[in-house]
Amino acid sequence: MTDSIDRRRFLKVLGVTSAGAAAVTACGIGPEPTERLIPYLVQPEDQIPGTATYYATTCRECAAGCGVRVRVREGRAVKLEGNPDSPINRGRLCARGQAALQGLYNPDRISHPLVRNASGTFEAIDWDGALLRLSAKVREAQGKGIVFLTGAEQSTFGDLVDEWMKQVGGRRMSYEAFGFEALRAGNRMAFGTATLPSYDFANAKYVLSFGADFLDTWLSPVEFQNGFSRAHAFDAGRPASMAKFVYVGPRLSLTGMNADEWIAARPGTEGTLALAMAQVIMSQHLARVPADASRLVSVLGAHRPSAVAQAIGIDEATIVRLAREFARSGGGLAVAGGMATQGANGAATVAAVNILNYVVGAVGTLVKFGADLAIGSTNSFAELATLTSDMAAGRVALLFVHGTNPAHSLPGAFQQALDKVAYKVSFSSYLDETAAACDLILPDHHPLEQWGASRPRAGITALQQPVVQPVFDTRPTGDVILKLAGKAGTFEEYFKGKVGPRVQNNADQFWLEKLALGGIYGTAPTRAVRLATDLSAVAPSLEKTSGPAGVEEQTVVVFPHPALHDGRGANKPWLQELPDPVSKIAWHSWVEVHPDTAAKWGLATGDFLLLKSPFGAQKFPTWITPSVRPDVLAVPTGQGHTAYGRYAKDRSANAFELLGAQATAYGGRAFIVSASATKTAEHQRKLATIEGNARDLGMGTTEVLPLARAKALRPGDHPFHFEETPEYAKDAVEWWAERQHEQAEIGNYKGEQPRWGLAIDLSKCTGCSACVTACYAENNIPTVGEELTERRREMAWLRLERYWRVDEHDNVQGAVSQPMLCQQCGNAPCEPVCPVFAAYHTPDGLNGQVYNRCVGTRYCSNNCPYKVRYFNWYNYAERDGKYEAFPEPLSMLLNPDVTVREKGVMEKCTFCVQRIRGAQNQARLENRNVRDGDIVTACQQTCPSEAIVFGDLNDRHSRVFELAGNPRGYHVLAGLNTKPAITYLARVVAQDTTSHG
Amino acid sequence: MVLILALPPAALSGQQAQSASSQSSRYQAPVISDTGALKGPRQPIFFRHDIHAGQDQIPCMYCHYSASISSEPGIPSLQTCIGCHQLIGGTTPAHQAEIKKVRDAWRERKPPEWIRVHALPGFVRFPHMRHIKALGTTACVTCHGDVQKMAQVAQVSTLRMGWCVSCHVKNNVTRDCSVCHY
Repeated sequence: MTDSIDRRRFLKVLGVTSAGAAAVTACGIGPEPTERLIPYLVQPEDQIPGTATYYATTCRECAAGCGVRVRVREGRAVKLEGNPDSPINRGRLCARGQAALQGLYNPDRISHPLVRNASGTFEAIDWDGALLRLSAKVREAQGKGIVFLTGAEQSTFGDLVDEWMKQVGGRRMSYEAFGFEALRAGNRMAFGTATLPSYDFANAKYVLSFGADFLDTWLSPVEFQNGFSRAHAFDAGRPASMAKFVYVGPRLSLTGMNADEWIAARPGTEGTLALAMAQVIMSQHLARVPADASRLVSVLGAHRPSAVAQAIGIDEATIVRLAREFARSGGGLAVAGGMATQGANGAATVAAVNILNYVVGAVGTLVKFGADLAIGSTNSFAELATLTSDMAAGRVALLFVHGTNPAHSLPGAFQQALDKVAYKVSFSSYLDETAAACDLILPDHHPLEQWGASRPRAGITALQQPVVQPVFDTRPTGDVILKLAGKAGTFEEYFKGKVGPRVQNNADQFWLEKLALGGIYGTAPTRAVRLATDLSAVAPSLEKTSGPAGVEEQTVVVFPHPALHDGRGANKPWLQELPDPVSKIAWHSWVEVHPDTAAKWGLATGDFLLLKSPFGAQKFPTWITPSVRPDVLAVPTGQGHTAYGRYAKDRSANAFELLGAQATAYGGRAFIVSASATKTAEHQRKLATIEGNARDLGMGTTEVLPLARAKALRPGDHPFHFEETPEYAKDAVEWWAERQHEQAEIGNYKGEQPRWGLAIDLSKCTGCSACVTACYAENNIPTVGEELTERRREMAWLRLERYWRVDEHDNVQGAVSQPMLCQQCGNAPCEPVCPVFAAYHTPDGLNGQVYNRCVGTRYCSNNCPYKVRYFNWYNYAERDGKYEAFPEPLSMLLNPDVTVREKGVMEKCTFCVQRIRGAQNQARLENRNVRDGDIVTACQQTCPSEAIVFGDLNDRHSRVFELAGNPRGYHVLAGLNTKPAITYLARVVAQDTTSHG
Repeated sequence: MVLILALPPAALSGQQAQSASSQSSRYQAPVISDTGALKGPRQPIFFRHDIHAGQDQIPCMYCHYSASISSEPGIPSLQTCIGCHQLIGGTTPAHQAEIKKVRDAWRERKPPEWIRVHALPGFVRFPHMRHIKALGTTACVTCHGDVQKMAQVAQVSTLRMGWCVSCHVKNNVTRDCSVCHY
């Protein structure tokens, strides 16, 4: 050894050799760590390694009760899909449902029971010790006030809690931050029933929403979106038609964005508008009105358009036109909710809209009572306020909390009242604000880990079954309660006893069948309703109780964030990183300010505005948008947690702080407050947004057709302008690509191949962004966090671009949402510039990206005109790395069929190539060809509107081929001659004369 | 003599059960005295493919049951081993010592942690079932070598991409990158 080799290096080399000896000889490819293969002890019958097993269960992320099928690989849940057997969601699933996986494998889950010790911190305790302690507490507290607080829990679990509470002399209460009290009270006022009906959007011919956000947070969004899409998408049949959608509200929510017309009525006047329309319909005999509606004449008499137009802020002619359109459609459906029913006159607004429906005959046809939606069965906010004061007065000795987080949505009052409760027990899986204030935490299983049966609506029992072994040392709360109640058996046995067949001898067969279906599905009979006898309270008061009190005061609307909702989604990075469909802002809250108002106040985007209501104050960064009334400010809920894990804690502002704890007259909560707005001295922040430009700028990215024009289209028409190639370039442009492909027809490129393509119907796409989260889940896309999103380094392969739609007066009427993803161009600009052939064209028409060849020059992304290529700037998969995207156990949800990319590698949409190959493999095993419909991309599968269709463009019988030839079809940036494989079908708008409040 | 029971194969296809009358041409696994001279990683239990697959002619897919239906070939569960070895205790002290390890593992409910021999990097997807479908259920030796003669499994093919591609070219099947890399 003549070369001097220093000791350090020698030892390093020695260390590698000795530790890695086994590894290097074992695999012979490179210094990879030795892998071990650990076999099963006993092979489970239904698992085949390398293939997935699907289990049906129910999503519990909201009260809608959609059925899901969970794809399980080797005992890990890796993807949720909608269950096609469920009549609620019919195989579709929203972003919140997709993100349930991140709740199951959340790194901040409570992994074992915790008890608060003498010094006030939590320490671990074993289950038996915890239950002993709790039994003693229950005995102590009997007679002194025991309350069990749940979320919306119309389920067997809720029944068990009711039974137990009766046994110990306590009571159960249920609380949802958005409890639809106005809907229930308004239904009682108009029809004498405080239950919630089902709404048949699919058969509506005209949809009129008074604030009801039925596409994002109102009642059952996936179901309604699916039905709405059937009605509202352009049907090119004979006759060609579409249902017009008009949205009445002070701001454009996700639902409002999809309207053909936006009526920006003054906040609080929506009910008056409904009655004015009803008045026109009745007085002008525009519909076959039910006989007993004659009783309405007196109420409606005061609501002639001429009398109320000024108060509403809409001109008379528009009111009359709307009434005529609504009645003449022959299938008008009016829904009320959201911002229109969150003021002091919320219930009366609902009653007014009920009357409008009644007058056109929608009640009993499109609005069917008897469904009794579960969300309508919770206690009202007024009842919770009573509980809070009971707690504060020391009348509750023992409080249990399960599946709800009132300390976040009622930050002041409930937090303080909690301190006065002698002993508090939480069953939460996460250390949220309420759990953090409790004395004992007995973490429940995640809904995907446990048995259960819930009744999201009458006639449907949605079944839950465990799809994976419990990840942590948790126990189903049902089991805990049975133990505390001194009953034998598990919750599984209890619920099977309640829900199972009466005759036990075919119980196994029953369960096999029903669990595979995911539920026991029946239809509840429709309950006929009549107009209530006393209609005196129906007319909504126009008193500006919810309006500004002083000159300095602004009307602030607090609305539920579509993904984070009442804050429960904030601990899931997929939902935090999901750009809000309207504002395209991720990871933080904002306040929506109209450009005129911003100009008046000298506000720039990102300036912090301090909103101070009589109840609290919070700062929000400004987002200037034309989609809100100039006299209204809007802030979303969901952020501002003080606990709840690393993704939620200490992030942005909590809009619930601005709201009061007093119930309104109808027992609900006022989400519209007056607040002063002052610009703070705090420095501006850069908004974490993925948005480029809110205007299409005539690029032809989104095409919109008026309904009349769409109806007149014939096959073969080309209604969209595209650049004609100049003569001197014709050869080059039109022949060059063809010549290249001809010359390249060697080897694999020879012969008949599929050409994979997509068709996206913009008439169906609502911008809900379920596809975005589904893509994250399917393709192991890392979440980059707030800092990197601000720096525009988001990794989403599929983004939704939102372009405002303006009328001839430059007023916003709605928006067009366009999913933008790799177009898999036939003449791709990214392919010729890759120096190492990592980006290349596959024989079956995909723009392939080979991760292991990529060296990271990023020339491909530079050349891409659609900007749909994403670079891994950091090692997002690195354990304990700075931008770690999958901290344990979040890495368990990674899809084993897709490579996890390293730093320095470019990635982009692959048309779910793993699913394409999977279907091809399956077809080969079965000795057949791939059929149209075998391959379903993740985005297509989850889309509640069924807007995306995948297939083989070379197969003349495929759906995608037919759609690609549709006259409404066009390519984005077609003039660049990229020959994309994605055909977009233009949005059709039922345009008429427009109005703006 | 090793006791031969009627073995119900889990996924028998393509291979015929050998009858006892062809004993004269039967392969006899040698006695191994120097395990250190064997190629391949040392496994927690000295499982001999030359005895099981060679001498006893157990078909590959009796244990590696999912090779024809899945990307993963499947490593046999301990239940598969115990199926025979609850009765077969071994004839020589060496064999008995190893079989005792199997029984101990079953009793203690701790399956052995085998050292993986054939591993591809994370950016490659190799579908076993496509290859079995194309080449047949006896084609395991094509890539894994003559496992039936191996006392200790060692990797004999490089498993590098060039080796894969040359076989694809020879058999005139696809060489498209996105078939294996996604």
